[in-house]
Amino acid sequence: MAVALPAFVASRRPSWDSLEALLTRQREGTLTLVELRTLDTLYRRAASDLAHAQTFYPGTDAHRFLNQLCARAYAAIYQPPSERWTSVKAFFRREFPQALRRELRYVGASAGLFILGLLLGALVVLWEPRGAELLVPAGVRQYVSQGRMWTDDILSVAPPNSVSSGIATNNLTVTILTFAMGLFYGLGTVFILVNNGVQIGAIAALCAREGMLGGLLDFISAHGPVELSVIVIAGGAGLMVGQSLIDPGELPRGQALALRGREAVKLVLGCAPFLALIGVVEGYVSPGDLFPTWAKAALGLALGGLFWGYLLRAGSAEAGTAPEVRAS
Amino acid sequence: MSTASSPHLAVATPERVALSLPVAGIGYRCLAWLVDAGLLFFFWVVAYFVFTLLVSDVLGVFQGLSGVGQTLLVVGIFATQWLYWTLGEVFFHGQTPGKRALRIRVVRLDGSPVGLYESAVRNLCRAVDFLPGVYAAGCISMLLTPRHQRLGDLLAGTVLVREERIDLDKYTARTPESGAPGVPGPKATRALTPDEVELVLAFLARAPGLEADIRRKMGTRLVDKLGGLTDEERTAVLASAGATEAFLRAHVQVER
Repeated sequence: MAVALPAFVASRRPSWDSLEALLTRQREGTLTLVELRTLDTLYRRAASDLAHAQTFYPGTDAHRFLNQLCARAYAAIYQPPSERWTSVKAFFRREFPQALRRELRYVGASAGLFILGLLLGALVVLWEPRGAELLVPAGVRQYVSQGRMWTDDILSVAPPNSVSSGIATNNLTVTILTFAMGLFYGLGTVFILVNNGVQIGAIAALCAREGMLGGLLDFISAHGPVELSVIVIAGGAGLMVGQSLIDPGELPRGQALALRGREAVKLVLGCAPFLALIGVVEGYVSPGDLFPTWAKAALGLALGGLFWGYLLRAGSAEAGTAPEVRAS
Repeated sequence: MSTASSPHLAVATPERVALSLPVAGIGYRCLAWLVDAGLLFFFWVVAYFVFTLLVSDVLGVFQGLSGVGQTLLVVGIFATQWLYWTLGEVFFHGQTPGKRALRIRVVRLDGSPVGLYESAVRNLCRAVDFLPGVYAAGCISMLLTPRHQRLGDLLAGTVLVREERIDLDKYTARTPESGAPGVPGPKATRALTPDEVELVLAFLARAPGLEADIRRKMGTRLVDKLGGLTDEERTAVLASAGATEAFLRAHVQVER
């Protein structure tokens, strides 16, 4: 039989206390090299004390205390590599585009769904004009029936800047929701993608019927390519999440979800700065007659081309090295 | 032990010791969220009041702002919310101020601290967990999953663990008036099980706060439970609360 519990605690307690003190100092970041070695030794000792307590004093407060102490030390010693500025740079230089290229299937599927919605919405409105009443918001319909662009009006009534900020937050919401709704087995993402496609398709078709396609193109050509790309990429991330839930492979669902979720969120995080940039373009360049249509279209195509050029080329020189898989 | 039934996160360390961390339930998490939400709310109220002190016509100033300023403001408000949670978790070892107040922390499923990705994921998913209002989706998910994870936690592979405040002093404390006259010394009749030691120590730690009547009754029951006393010895031990507790402590710490 082992020594009595109070005696065990009394004899070992000083070393636990000093481990606790060292852990507190480690949090504050004021640890010397010698103390670091001591911390390691003390952690091992506490771990063996924990094993001892598990065997001889299970369920006592001493056992729980040791459990917690070892958990703290374990978290301090086995830390994930710290994320710093260099890793942010590496993320945008390599990791994000590489992750996107790896998951291009999902982005493709997402684009397919979006285009499907687009065609659906356009065809419905072209064949059956009354379908517009169902698919196009009433406010937009009113403007179109009067032969005006609703975007012109936003600009003249409200100050132009409020448009930009409204657009930025709206895009952000749509992007985050498109991704996060993937948690509902991907169905939420599919719905948002198709729904957005249908709406945009229906609006375009309505404008075409009323002979205002030029006006619509004038408005969306500058920001459309990048903005729709970002939403499609976020949709791809959402589909990844959904797929890991439906077909987790050999892993339990929870683990598969966590593993794929980390990959998927890279796509969303990577898109964030581009989304902010394009929000500015959408707020300032797109509305009004400040820029001629050809300039807007050229800007839009150039931005879209740059964006996809970056996504498909950046970091490909180092693609030969195995893609970094973060230890989970 | 009350912890036997509550959920735990089992972790195997490279030292081949199995850690088990107590998982924080929905109550802790709601309270921590209330603290955090309160802080954020307070922050915005203060920010607003400071702003109104500087300028009188707030709405007018907002409308008069340049476009860039307004965009930055709106994006900034959103980012502050998100950054508050994410930076709190990344830089303060998985604890936002609310979590710190409630002594809970976010860790990965293997018990290691959260990194930027995990924290970013679980906080981006706040929007979904909030659906359709007041975290309904998150609460349902927390109730249904064995480790009380909301949807964002499931996606990020994180879990909230509780830190308990455990007092080790009770093992080493000494009763001041030990060695009262007539009290028999400890006899090693049989070795006590850890559970019995724990029980006696818990009683000794709480005895000073108990009512005199209950204190005596419980002391008597414990002395009888330990047993091994003759009648005179028992009377001497039970003569006063101090004597009873001194006897119990000596008995528990006999093998020191």
